[in-house]
Amino acid sequence: MTAVNNVDHVQTKSGKAPSRPFFLWRHLNKLRWLSLTCVFIMLLLLPYISVYQNFLSAHAYDLLPAADKSLYDIMETITDPFVTDPVNDLDAIKGTTWSASFDSYKLSDPLAVVAQIAAAKRVYWPFVLTALLPIIFTVLLGRFFCGWICPATFLYELNTNLGLLLEKMGVRTGHRRLDKRMKYAVLVVGLLLSTAAGSVLMAAIYPPAIIGRELYYYIALGGFGSGSVFFLLTLLFDLLVARRGFCRYLCPGGALYSLLGRYRLLRIKRLVTRCNDCAKCNAVCEFGLDPMRDDFGQECNNCSACIAVCPTDAMTFILSPQDVAAQGPGHLGKRYRSTQQASLASASDEQVLNLQG
Amino acid sequence: MDRRSFIYRSLRGAGLIVLAALPFAFGRALQPDVGGKKAPINPAINHHKLRPPGALASEKDFQSACIGCGVCAEVCPPACIQFHQRDGGNDANTPYILPAEKACILCGKCMEVCPTDALTVTDNVQVTMGLAQIDRDACYPWVDHGVCGACVVACPLGDKAIEFDFATLYRPVVNSACVGCGVCVEVCPHPSLPIRIIKTTA
Repeated sequence: MTAVNNVDHVQTKSGKAPSRPFFLWRHLNKLRWLSLTCVFIMLLLLPYISVYQNFLSAHAYDLLPAADKSLYDIMETITDPFVTDPVNDLDAIKGTTWSASFDSYKLSDPLAVVAQIAAAKRVYWPFVLTALLPIIFTVLLGRFFCGWICPATFLYELNTNLGLLLEKMGVRTGHRRLDKRMKYAVLVVGLLLSTAAGSVLMAAIYPPAIIGRELYYYIALGGFGSGSVFFLLTLLFDLLVARRGFCRYLCPGGALYSLLGRYRLLRIKRLVTRCNDCAKCNAVCEFGLDPMRDDFGQECNNCSACIAVCPTDAMTFILSPQDVAAQGPGHLGKRYRSTQQASLASASDEQVLNLQG
Repeated sequence: MDRRSFIYRSLRGAGLIVLAALPFAFGRALQPDVGGKKAPINPAINHHKLRPPGALASEKDFQSACIGCGVCAEVCPPACIQFHQRDGGNDANTPYILPAEKACILCGKCMEVCPTDALTVTDNVQVTMGLAQIDRDACYPWVDHGVCGACVVACPLGDKAIEFDFATLYRPVVNSACVGCGVCVEVCPHPSLPIRIIKTTA
């Protein structure tokens, strides 16, 4: 049996070469980074726009100090092509990923809705409806918020890269594995505490909510608030205890999205005939899943990092409400070939001779 | 299940609950004490922190309805809305207005954007943020230190809220139509701010 180097020469039982996944899916990870960066830049820009609007409505340009004057000029340059009456027109996009308003249409985080229902002990439907669109998308696409929008993911993934850099320099970082079910406990305990306290406590420990708010506090109100300390602690936790530890083990929003996206339609599938068991997908998976053994589960956020890293194009998207059952070792890997050879050895000599040619 | 493993399992469950509550404990414990670090001579320190206009009548209802998204402050043209940091646990990240620092102009934008209607859309004259109160031992006209009336001129609601009253020889007097927006406090020229807004809702 000759060694197979080129993936496309592999033959399946039906004699057809296994199909390559759609070529653009390898590049989806770059699009994801673009999306994360855009959200983060918007979160930085909106407080500055708010400050600019304050200056505008106060007609204060001549009284401003030099630094604020340059801020005013910069914001005027940026926003000028898009608006005619900046004082009112710039209100079209306001808010953070916790709750935002797009020109009288409001979007809220499902966690905000759940926590508010728990705190107020009643359902206020106009507010629940603001989370309808995110909930529908989460049910269809799974935890996509975590990978594609969340401003905390942006910082946490940069933090992961920092950790790798530190490891290269010889500093030991944390790689502990904890129990993934802990985040569901955080969600339940948080909701119970919210009910007991009568206020939305979830907002104080949910990183996407914290980041939007703290950026606003820092830029527009002149100083970081309480949440920034908590967020710094989570960064240290990720660096020193467990990689991406907060998202994997503690985030209540991630827990809610995982539950909502349990029967999501868009999933990632491993093409077993193309896989060579290199485990690169397991190494890059930010949520500590096991794509190489088909173990995605409800916590996969379809971030497509495993698709981007796969050297043999063995990862692809499928539309299915359930994961593919475990498919065993990849057909290009050592383990699969050794089992094949073992079964061949037990077969009749004639067959082996035929195959080995 | 024998007794020993039952005890172990229940202990483990209790430990898990405590672990899950830890982030909330951190969130509480790490909030900086902003209120206590203000300069002691700041006259605003003894003023009531008012809820933005249109806030739910009961303070408890407001605390449970507000999700702390901060959009009300983002749209506020005079940037008068600030946020509680550590003034009592359940207030964390909820908005307040301190008219002595910056007063509300009753533009109504915050009520329109509030996603939870913790700030319900309310007509200007029906807002109940508080009621202005004048200290007649300090206010310039009341102690006969000349003519002032900055508060009367600045009031967005006019004579029905605050006026030069004939019965008191044309000194400023607060009337029942006052909604507590606090513009009078912001413009008051007296350093000790003899006019202040008293919170009327519990």
